[in-house]
Amino acid sequence: MAAKQYDWSKIAQNPKYLELKSRKRKFLFGWWLASSIYYFSLPILSGYAPALFKAKAIGVINLGYLFILSQFVMAFFVAIYYTKVANSEFDRLTDELVREFQ
Amino acid sequence: MFTKAIMTTMLTLLLTTAGFAAESASLAPRSAPAVAASTPQSIAPARAQAVQALPEAAKTAMPAVPSPPAKVRPNRAITISMFMVIIGVTLGVVIWAAKRTTSAADFYAAGGGITGLQNGWAIAGDYMSAASFLGMSGLISLYGIDGFMYAVGPMFSFIAILLVVAEPCRNAGKFTLGDILSFRASPKPVRAVAALSTVTVSLFYLIAQMVGAGKLMQVLLDIPYRVSVIGVGILMVGYVAFGGMKATTWVQIIKASLLMTGTVVLAVLVMLKSGMNPIQFFTDIVGNQNIQDHVRMNVLKDALPKPGFDYGQRFMEPGLFLKNPLDQISLGIAWALGAAGLPHILMRFFTVPSAKEARKSIVIALFINSSFFFLINLIGFGAALYLSPQLISSVDKGGNMATLLLAQKLGGGAGSIGGDLFLAFICAVAFATILAVVSGLVLAASAAIAHDVYVNIIKDGKADQQTQVRVARITSLFVGIAAIIMGLAAEKENVVALVALAFAVAASGNFPAVMLSLFWKRFNTSGVISGLLVGTISALALVVISPVMTYPQKIADDARKIVTTLEQKQAEGVVLAEKDLKALDKARADFQKNDGGTSMVGLKAAIFPLKNPGIVSVPLGLLAAILGALLFRDKRAEDMFDEIEVRQITGLGISKASDH
Repeated sequence: MAAKQYDWSKIAQNPKYLELKSRKRKFLFGWWLASSIYYFSLPILSGYAPALFKAKAIGVINLGYLFILSQFVMAFFVAIYYTKVANSEFDRLTDELVREFQ
Repeated sequence: MFTKAIMTTMLTLLLTTAGFAAESASLAPRSAPAVAASTPQSIAPARAQAVQALPEAAKTAMPAVPSPPAKVRPNRAITISMFMVIIGVTLGVVIWAAKRTTSAADFYAAGGGITGLQNGWAIAGDYMSAASFLGMSGLISLYGIDGFMYAVGPMFSFIAILLVVAEPCRNAGKFTLGDILSFRASPKPVRAVAALSTVTVSLFYLIAQMVGAGKLMQVLLDIPYRVSVIGVGILMVGYVAFGGMKATTWVQIIKASLLMTGTVVLAVLVMLKSGMNPIQFFTDIVGNQNIQDHVRMNVLKDALPKPGFDYGQRFMEPGLFLKNPLDQISLGIAWALGAAGLPHILMRFFTVPSAKEARKSIVIALFINSSFFFLINLIGFGAALYLSPQLISSVDKGGNMATLLLAQKLGGGAGSIGGDLFLAFICAVAFATILAVVSGLVLAASAAIAHDVYVNIIKDGKADQQTQVRVARITSLFVGIAAIIMGLAAEKENVVALVALAFAVAASGNFPAVMLSLFWKRFNTSGVISGLLVGTISALALVVISPVMTYPQKIADDARKIVTTLEQKQAEGVVLAEKDLKALDKARADFQKNDGGTSMVGLKAAIFPLKNPGIVSVPLGLLAAILGALLFRDKRAEDMFDEIEVRQITGLGISKASDH
């Protein structure tokens, strides 16, 4: 397989690596948690607060329908935002680090 | 040589089956009772519930609906030609791919030569099933907004995959789930358990798809169940055994583009009909007499309208189908985590050369998938408005034929050229959809057996490329045969439980194990094994005692209710219509057959109240994985954490699938 041997524990102590790791972790788990909370609020609110869903918003379209639509918007937003951050920040840091060790 | 010989045999076999299908179908009586069989794939809980929601009494009270046809009747010649075109094109792809599949990396990961864009379409093609295409729109057409809410789960699945699964797995893995889990654990036992879990999940899912496919073809084309299961089985084995991941990928891309084309065209036609005005569209729905009657009589069962109650608006409010919030949350957990643990989805990340491409592919898949579910909402509501829920449920109680009926109507109506063509096209889309999904599953199961068990356990990783590919091909043949046999045996079984189970096992067993392998230093062999076993077994155990299983006693009780109601009517001197007499006979027979019967595990009624076990089995699987790791510490696994962590974060030392 890969011909090159890396000193993994040395890389693991590298300050640049530690920065990349903590930034990635915060971003990824943070957004995962936030989007999950938003997602699970749909079954929870529809089950335990149906009145909220029934409130009319635009003509016959109620808040519930808009809330479901907003889940799609949320997913699009997370995908686009993550792509942006990953392309500009994570990939740059990763490239710098990889160059240092290759 | 070997390849060519088998390929010729397969082709001959396939053509014979197709010929047989056409022949036997033309002999089949036209009046075959098609309504009874619907498409019970992952959405099929809808059917079971819908059947309960529409007891005979309510149905007889239904108002006259504008001339309901008994079934969807596609034009056979056009539909079969379209099927043949799909089979022809995909077989062409297989022949092209077979020549280019010489190494294990080619077979399992298409040599890492798939681009992010292609892989995005293929993932979407792997994930969107005929059940979503047909079942979810049906659910919306019968239960309104609840059906749309149901679609949010499979849409949201991609968030976990995008953020925490795809890139780390691509960086740290090679071909299979076993590769990731065995990275710093002792390889043999972990690979064995991972292979077992992969084969279980994939086969469950596969059988459900095969049974669904068989029943769908039976309804649409009068092709006997057996013939369609065997035909689909031969095709999927052909794709996988010869073309490996390359052919599977392209079958999935073709399917996804066909599916999106069909969906976009249908949704645009619906919106054109309502003047491209969504507010007007929904106002029409709320004001529609058929929908109001359906909600009042069939769903809420108010014999007389409640004064001042807006039954049309009720269609836009939750609670008509999804009644138990805990069940929804449990199902939500399975969606949110399960998709990220499905082996056939995991495997797709390894077909791209880098984590960046893996990310791109998930983003593209997420966009396709979300757009698909959004459009399905327009199609579902459109079907309710332009066809009427009464018509849709008269053709299939679970609403599974809504999309097809709508295509026929919007194409110009039954019997018109436009209607026939569009309906045939949508049938062909459903067919392509089934083929693409089952191929991905066969590939995943074969990879687990050939790569994890044969090459890495039996041969200690020492097998040359030629042998690896040959073994993989033979394995896929056997997996396919097993799936065909089980699909045939499961014709009359309730396969709903199998899909619930596949997702639940993936969420409770695979997902925690993958996450902890990548992100937790202390995780080790015993953690993987206890997590996978407890997650899988608890999910399995909870599903077999849950309401998704068939409980004969419940069928008997329901039948008795119908018998009592109808007999009472007779006693009152009412002369029963022929339909009611038939229903009475059927109910008596059902009662006779099922009274005192028990479910597969000997239960009269469900013990576990929820249809999906996720809310219990996911925490159990996670807990077992953590406890297992803490109880038996493993110094080596902890020392190796730096390596897997650096790999998954940076991609250093990434397995280039093209190295060989």
